Amino acid sequence: MNHLELNRADELTRRHFMLNAARTYLGVHLFPMLGASVASAAPAAVGAGNKAKYVIYLYMSGGMSHLDTFDPKPKKKAVMGPTETIMGKADLEISGYLPKTAEVTDKMCIINSMSSTQGAHEQGSYMMHHSYSQRGTIRHPAFGSWVLKLAGPIHPELPGFIAINTPPAVTSGGFFGAKFSAAPIGRPEEGLQDSRRPQNVSEGDFERRLSLADKLNQQFHSRYPNADVKAYEELYRDAISLMNSSDLAAFDLSKETQATRDMYGSGNFAQGCLLARRLIENDVRFVEVQLGGWDTHYDNFAGVEGRCKEFDQAYAALLTDLEARGKLKDTLVVVATEFGRTPEIKSEHKDGRDHHPSAFSCVLAGGGIKGGVKYGLTDTSGGKVKNDLVTVQDFNATIAYSLGLPHDLVLMSPSKRPFKIADQGKPITSIFG
Amino acid sequence: MFRIFSQALLFSLTLEMTAHAFDEIKPKDDTEYIKKSALKIDTLIANFYRLKKLPVPEVTDDAMFMRRSFLVTLGRIPTAEEAWSFIEMEDTDKRAELVDYLIKSRGYSSHMTNWAFDLLRLRDNRQGGQGTNEPYRNWIREAMDQNMPWNQFVDQLISSTGNGWDPKTAAVGYYTSDRGMPLDNLSNTMRVFLGTRMECAQCHDDPFGETERKDFYHLAAFTHGQEQMNQSLMSRLWLELRDNRESRVIEYQVGQLFWDKIYGMSLGGGGEGRITLPSDYQYRDGKPGEILGGKTPFGKSVRTSDRNDDEKSREKLSEWITEKTGPQFASVIADRMWKRVMGKGIHEPVDEYIEASKTVYPELMTYLSTLMVELDYDLRAFQKVLLLTKTFQFATNPNPSSIDGGDDFHGRKIERLSAEQIWDSLITLSNGDPDKLPSRSVDHRIYVGGRPVLVGEMDMVQLSNEVLALKTEESVRKYYKDFLDRAKQGSVAKKSDSSMMMAENVQKYGVDSAVRASELPSPAPREHFLYLFGASDREVVESASKDPNVGQMLSLMNGFVQRQLVNKPDAHVYKSLQNVTSTHERIRRLYLAILSRPPTTQEMEWMQAEVESAGDQAYRNIVAALVMSSEFVFLQ
Repeated sequence: MNHLELNRADELTRRHFMLNAARTYLGVHLFPMLGASVASAAPAAVGAGNKAKYVIYLYMSGGMSHLDTFDPKPKKKAVMGPTETIMGKADLEISGYLPKTAEVTDKMCIINSMSSTQGAHEQGSYMMHHSYSQRGTIRHPAFGSWVLKLAGPIHPELPGFIAINTPPAVTSGGFFGAKFSAAPIGRPEEGLQDSRRPQNVSEGDFERRLSLADKLNQQFHSRYPNADVKAYEELYRDAISLMNSSDLAAFDLSKETQATRDMYGSGNFAQGCLLARRLIENDVRFVEVQLGGWDTHYDNFAGVEGRCKEFDQAYAALLTDLEARGKLKDTLVVVATEFGRTPEIKSEHKDGRDHHPSAFSCVLAGGGIKGGVKYGLTDTSGGKVKNDLVTVQDFNATIAYSLGLPHDLVLMSPSKRPFKIADQGKPITSIFG
Repeated sequence: MFRIFSQALLFSLTLEMTAHAFDEIKPKDDTEYIKKSALKIDTLIANFYRLKKLPVPEVTDDAMFMRRSFLVTLGRIPTAEEAWSFIEMEDTDKRAELVDYLIKSRGYSSHMTNWAFDLLRLRDNRQGGQGTNEPYRNWIREAMDQNMPWNQFVDQLISSTGNGWDPKTAAVGYYTSDRGMPLDNLSNTMRVFLGTRMECAQCHDDPFGETERKDFYHLAAFTHGQEQMNQSLMSRLWLELRDNRESRVIEYQVGQLFWDKIYGMSLGGGGEGRITLPSDYQYRDGKPGEILGGKTPFGKSVRTSDRNDDEKSREKLSEWITEKTGPQFASVIADRMWKRVMGKGIHEPVDEYIEASKTVYPELMTYLSTLMVELDYDLRAFQKVLLLTKTFQFATNPNPSSIDGGDDFHGRKIERLSAEQIWDSLITLSNGDPDKLPSRSVDHRIYVGGRPVLVGEMDMVQLSNEVLALKTEESVRKYYKDFLDRAKQGSVAKKSDSSMMMAENVQKYGVDSAVRASELPSPAPREHFLYLFGASDREVVESASKDPNVGQMLSLMNGFVQRQLVNKPDAHVYKSLQNVTSTHERIRRLYLAILSRPPTTQEMEWMQAEVESAGDQAYRNIVAALVMSSEFVFLQ
């Protein structure tokens, strides 16, 4: 038996053992969790978009300056400060801080007419991620959780919603429950931490531990029949079937060639984009990757330039790579943020820009989106939306549309209140090819 | 432990009696007053049951009371020794004694520190420049250690001014850590301390609330003007240094030290009391560019002039918040403390204030905010009152509160522990009482180019005080030059041995240290156990999460817990098994150490069966299973 076969045999034994452990002690049925989603019950796809199966949601946390990225105003020096522009493919003019992105603008639909009512980070980010305003009395499910609920997971063992470098506050399953929360990944290079049994614990001992813990948990749960307690029990089952998965390598960036890794660039965000691509290739439905540090109240231009360096290469590589692998057509790549920045430059804050929710930019690519277009228009200084205003809810409805999800399907919260994936949003259908 | 403590108690009791004789004793120090207040709360709750015709919940047993009290007060489970001695104690009054022990422990302020850090969004580092929030962090920590009354704490933050390095004025970090975003800072001030949400009004009239954008700017006038102290005296020198930065490295580094870490961390003046309406001001009641004076939106009105700067405007705002907003200030913190101890706020969210009369139990809310004032905003004394109530001892109720947005006072709600509570409990199991370790300290050494200089001769406090006291550009240039010369000599002469020597005086803890969460870098890095379990990233107010996810399960089964506890032969939890041969007793001890209770008969059978079939390895399996169990991560 050669080395490879040996590993494979190990793998099979491990798999077999885990299946047994899971069945015996936890009563796990290792089938896809379809029953838990409405996918099976929902009518055939409503959205005519219906091209995307996967979403890679890149979130620029802190409020990305639209003026210094996707909505430059080259004629207005007073607005632009030192930021210059560059002509991208398909004649889309973008910021000079994004030279590599300029090479792939032909795949992108830049939405310049985004407008939000929320001017503070927490509220703004909450609305982008949930389609609703933050309220003290309800915990809305995150957008990824909605997608999971409406479309169901694809892979039977891997989590359907994975959040890389993203705070749990915006990836919670909310009233859908913990089952729909994202599985978090801190550092892409480390993959999904602790997904294998510790080396110094034998299979037998591991099995015994699970068995003991399960007895204790059942006892605890019968004493306290509570949803949160139950969620814990269920998550153990998910964790075990995940450990059992033969596709755990989806999380392992070391399986990529150095050339591919270099193509994305270094840093958490870049490697996070690469990991997102691996994950969707392994049938993970929704992956969010965050890039923070966009809150450039202070020294905006140095700040934006630095952020763009992190973003530019990775984003361009992601679109190119997905296309080369034939995955861009069924993967929607989203670039989103909570708001833009003011056209005014604050010299007293070392040329900073403040929050600006009334006009900002987001980008869609892949998943049936027409490339090489800009949608919507802001006025000459980028302060107000002039044409085709897109609300946060419209934007989210557009993502749902791309996935063929029923954006107007009403689901009731346990407190019997009606909610929709994108609230009252209407999808922009004209940007689909 | 309790014996020693009882003696201390006796001693302090004698002191209190002596004080009583002189009739100077304040309610917060008066044991009788505290007890009576606890009784008053219980009476109110009993009335509530009578009124609503509800059955009175049962009271928990000693073991659960102990675990709950430890987790609520110290933020960790008891050590095996602590658990042991409490269970064994036979005093009838042992619950009250335990509360007394806990509330005075060092662990109490560690747990309070996490709470304060979440509230104030404390991050160790700042974006851009070389400034640090370490002195500010330490200021908060010390305030919690010394149990600074809440009104003083808030006052010192809001009215702060001066040198960011000096321990006396390091509270300026409250403003300087938000530099560039003073309006967000103000929104957070209103939210955190008064439970008034004004985030919307930063940009537009609030369609749901009553606040208009102009009101917000009138309020922002009070905190407007957050310039550094005297930084302009160095502006030209700094520009020169920046232009030459490559050729003269140390010159630039010293300049950066002065500019970023000394001037940059200072807060000059006391505010301006005036502000200009922004260029996108959109309503008819004002014009962009118009200057507004300060005007408070509710409570007793406080104003500042729109004609002249008011050097005391931050002080005025602070006074308004803490003294002139009626019961609001006291009520918000009382509700927060109720939530902290009882698990659920009387009214939630705790940062959206409503009048007591609109809460589910007006009498109780009114009483608590009065009590907060009576106790001089002493949070320790206030929490002690709550811990001493029967209400706190009620059995667990697995059902969510029947009242939307608040407590139904009907038994404790079951809830997952916070990330910090789980972490602090795990390190207690792996390393023993974590509160015996020294606290981290601020590194006051002067760093030039990443290396400490002039160690033993001068520190950042002295240096910054001297620099900030300079009054002319010439004196700044001269001081800079003299310091540069000293740094050059110092860095050559004794860089290695002196820095070694001083390092012993600086207590630092890296991300991998097995210490309390409150001692670790803030926020926890993304790959850390704390982050995985939902610790706040401290970007926004109280953003911690108690949601479970699959990663947490993997971590408990295969990760940190296995490495640092289950499979670590010298873990503290195994020490209690030394010299114990009886299987029965060994199992009992593991249960006490991990779940703070003895096993039930059935559990004992399961575990004994495990020992029979797995031998010595069984004890590891038992530890693993107990830590994996829901009982470990839920507060009952």
